Amino acid sequence: MGRKAQKNDSLPGSLDMLILRTLSLRDLHGYGIVQFIQQSSDNELLVEEGSLYPALQRLELNGWIDGVWGVTSNNRRARIYKITAAGRKQLAVETRQYAKLTLAIARVMGAG
Amino acid sequence: MTDVLRRLRYWIESAKRSEALREEMELHLAEKAAELQADGMTAERARSEARRRFGNVGLKHEESREIWVTRFWSELGQDVRYGCRTMTANKAFSALAVLSLALGIGANTAIYSFMESILLRSLPVADPESLVVLNWHSRPPQEGSREWVIHGLQGLFWPGDKGTLVSGIFPYAAFETLREGNPVFSTLFGYFNGHNRNLAVRGQAASASSEYVTGDYFRGLEVLPAAGRLINSEDERAGAAAVAVISFATSQNRFGGPANAIGQSILVDNIPFTVIGVTPPEFFGVDPAVAPDLYLPLHTNVLVDGTGAARMYGDGNFYWIEMMGRLRPGVSIAQAQAALAPHFHQWVATTAKTDGERANLPALILNPGAEGLGSLRRQYSKPLYVLLAMVGLILAITCANIANLLLARAAARRREMAVRLSLGAGRFRVVRQLLTESVMLASLGGALGVLFAIWGVRSLTLLLSNGREDFTLHAELNWSVLGVTAALSVVCGLLFGLAPAIQSTSPDVMPALKNGRGGGPRRRAQHVLVVAQIAVSFLLLVAAGLFVRTLNKLHSVQLGYARENILLFSLNARQAGHRDPEMATFYANLRKRFESIPGVSSATLSQSSIISAGMAGGAYRGTMKIGAVTGVTIVGAGVMAAGPRFLTTMQIPILAGREIDERDQPGSPSVAVISERLARTYFGNENPLGRRVTFVDEKRDLEIVGVSANVRYGGLKEGSPMTVFTAASQFPPDRVTYALRVAGDPLTYVRSVHEVVREADSRIPVTNVFTQAAEIDRTISREITFSKLCTGFAVLALLIACVGLYGTVSYSVARQVGEIGIRMALGAQRGAVVWMVLHRVLLLAAVGLAISVPAALSASQLVKSFLFETQPNDPGTLALAGVVLLSAAILAGYAPARRASRIDPLAALRHE
Repeated sequence: MGRKAQKNDSLPGSLDMLILRTLSLRDLHGYGIVQFIQQSSDNELLVEEGSLYPALQRLELNGWIDGVWGVTSNNRRARIYKITAAGRKQLAVETRQYAKLTLAIARVMGAG
Repeated sequence: MTDVLRRLRYWIESAKRSEALREEMELHLAEKAAELQADGMTAERARSEARRRFGNVGLKHEESREIWVTRFWSELGQDVRYGCRTMTANKAFSALAVLSLALGIGANTAIYSFMESILLRSLPVADPESLVVLNWHSRPPQEGSREWVIHGLQGLFWPGDKGTLVSGIFPYAAFETLREGNPVFSTLFGYFNGHNRNLAVRGQAASASSEYVTGDYFRGLEVLPAAGRLINSEDERAGAAAVAVISFATSQNRFGGPANAIGQSILVDNIPFTVIGVTPPEFFGVDPAVAPDLYLPLHTNVLVDGTGAARMYGDGNFYWIEMMGRLRPGVSIAQAQAALAPHFHQWVATTAKTDGERANLPALILNPGAEGLGSLRRQYSKPLYVLLAMVGLILAITCANIANLLLARAAARRREMAVRLSLGAGRFRVVRQLLTESVMLASLGGALGVLFAIWGVRSLTLLLSNGREDFTLHAELNWSVLGVTAALSVVCGLLFGLAPAIQSTSPDVMPALKNGRGGGPRRRAQHVLVVAQIAVSFLLLVAAGLFVRTLNKLHSVQLGYARENILLFSLNARQAGHRDPEMATFYANLRKRFESIPGVSSATLSQSSIISAGMAGGAYRGTMKIGAVTGVTIVGAGVMAAGPRFLTTMQIPILAGREIDERDQPGSPSVAVISERLARTYFGNENPLGRRVTFVDEKRDLEIVGVSANVRYGGLKEGSPMTVFTAASQFPPDRVTYALRVAGDPLTYVRSVHEVVREADSRIPVTNVFTQAAEIDRTISREITFSKLCTGFAVLALLIACVGLYGTVSYSVARQVGEIGIRMALGAQRGAVVWMVLHRVLLLAAVGLAISVPAALSASQLVKSFLFETQPNDPGTLALAGVVLLSAAILAGYAPARRASRIDPLAALRHE
């Protein structure tokens, strides 16, 4: 942990997308999602842990994910989140938009 | 919409979810701390580090909660605040809308609370659903034939399907037969109406309604006493002490509370009883129409009514006792009926004496008993449905009116909506906000309406009871009524808010943004609403016209006797222990004493008032012959026992001979005075004086000593002018009605009357104190109620429709300012402009009328049974209603028309 990890605030709204993406791979509880995002980004992305929960509530309220009580890998009671069909659709939309955006940014940077 | 539902569910589960969220966060912190600890931190440091990285736990929790909780409600709060602002910005509009809604909702609530108390409420006993009432139905014998297994009836019966009679009264033996070994009832109990009795408590006499009940009555109803104990089967045994149970209200009025009443001695028609118990406050027996003050064991009627009453127990052809049963658990009414009907049939067949009787036996039917006996339902359900239909129509036009005003306002707010929509507000969001506004209006209207309803219920009770002391119909605003009112308010709000909300947010916002003036469809919608209001108002006007006309017809019926300056009241000396022949003297002496009260010019007595004669039973009901012993049978005449000076007091002209007077004593020859119609019918131009009337069943001959003018005897509608007056001294009634002819207001003599009666015998209560006019009006109370209410309703409807018309026309005039300006600039006269506007008003009214006249013609058939000497399609009434409507429309349209004609063409064109 020598260098400072980048906080995920460069792309507002991308936290939702990251959560959806994570859950599209496997069902996880809150802490698991944080860990997964950090690990799969090689600790480049550091989720502000407190912000995770409002985001989860928002996603659930929109019907994109669904939380049920279950048990974690080390046998503790936790709410395990699953992605719903509507969530997968939303993920596809956001992925497309994200791709467009990064492409556009890359073009600008390339032109410079 | 599922979105809204999910939000609502989240909100409802908010406490649970909040707890779950907390647990989730705790777990997160614990896992984080564990990880940090595994990396080598001390437990304590790891925990605080985990917290530090997480951020403010409480704040995050609050933020997460807000996502599901507040968005929904904060938006609602915004809408409500915005609604309040809009409402206060348009004070006149809001006040008008709220007031008219309050009237509409209040009227509906008042009528509905009556319906609820009569048609929907269950008996206040345990498990009312398992109670059943036993009835029978049978074809009554054809005219002339007397072959019917039912030789006598004492109780109520009413018409059923296809010309049958339905009743709930049975012979006592039927009750015993059905009670014994029936597999379907856990209890079967009987009762019969003992009517009004003289109840004396510590020497104070008053009239009290009574019910005779079998020993299982209270056990079957599962009623628990408020004090003491209730009547049980022990009290029914031969030789048991005479005991009585009184109602809660009676215990309070007569004893000062339930506890004080227990063990007290009372006199019921001068027979001693002991009070053993008090019923609970909410209990009113099995018939909401009766609500007895006094419950007596069944067989004590022999004590009270004399040994003659014992005969009814043994007579299998005399029908009098009513029955109710409580179903055993798991038994349905249909099963019970299937089990009991053959049983009853078998029994009733044994009471038939001839083949004719056997051919037409009554058949047993079981009806649900949860609501109690249906006498009030039968009497009031149809009038209440008619009234409910009317107030429903009023509410409908109120809604139409507000929708109309909102449409006009929506047009004015169209730019606002267009701006909001183009700035990105969701259409649903804007509609929701508009609906919140209209539901707020409606809720305010509903709240105010409850106040109107309280007042309405009071005045309607007053109107319906019409001075009757024993009026038992009590409506109240309970939770179920208030719930309906609340639902009604919300539905109204949605109803009148939805169309304007959807229209004003229609997606084509561009034209609105461009010119700010609305297009065509809204005006059409407004016109449709106005036409509908006019049509409905016309319906109500026609109804009011028909009922007022009916009342006028009833009031113009030739009574043949005096209506004013007469005081009526009743006494029942037999119930206070007087017996024949002393009783007749007692009554006769009282009459003289009443006559000596200063201001009383004459006093008389009769078995009942003339208007209610026949209801109380005539002096004689059997076959009558006239002329000689072998003479002609009289058909359709009433017999009334009357005392001296009856014709004088009632101001009935004596056409020949004399009236009944002091000469007619029990020992002297029986006399009769007949009415002119009777004399003409049977004697033509011959002199009837000295001829005879024969009461065949009693084998009595009466000499005709006088001829009176015709009187409307027994009811304004169906009254007959054929009357035989007999001398009260020779045909003594138990209960008499005195009539005093007085100077000035009859009611000022009531005190003197009470004094005279108290002096004569303090045990006798004075009952049914009315003026003659009130007594007559009592028989047409429904017609009076209807004509008053309907007139009120029609005026209200007309007013609302006029406001709607005025609003619509004003609005369209405001929008046509430019056009009118051009016309006037081109030389149009003011008159022409007025006519242009009025022309439109009349067109709208005419279309409304054209729709409404056929509707009125068919709808008025429904109220045919409420009318008297008035055809449902009475052309005069229709024409009058049309004229009133058109004049009102012109009046409503004239103000905007005048305003249009005052438009300054220059100003108008500049404005354009």
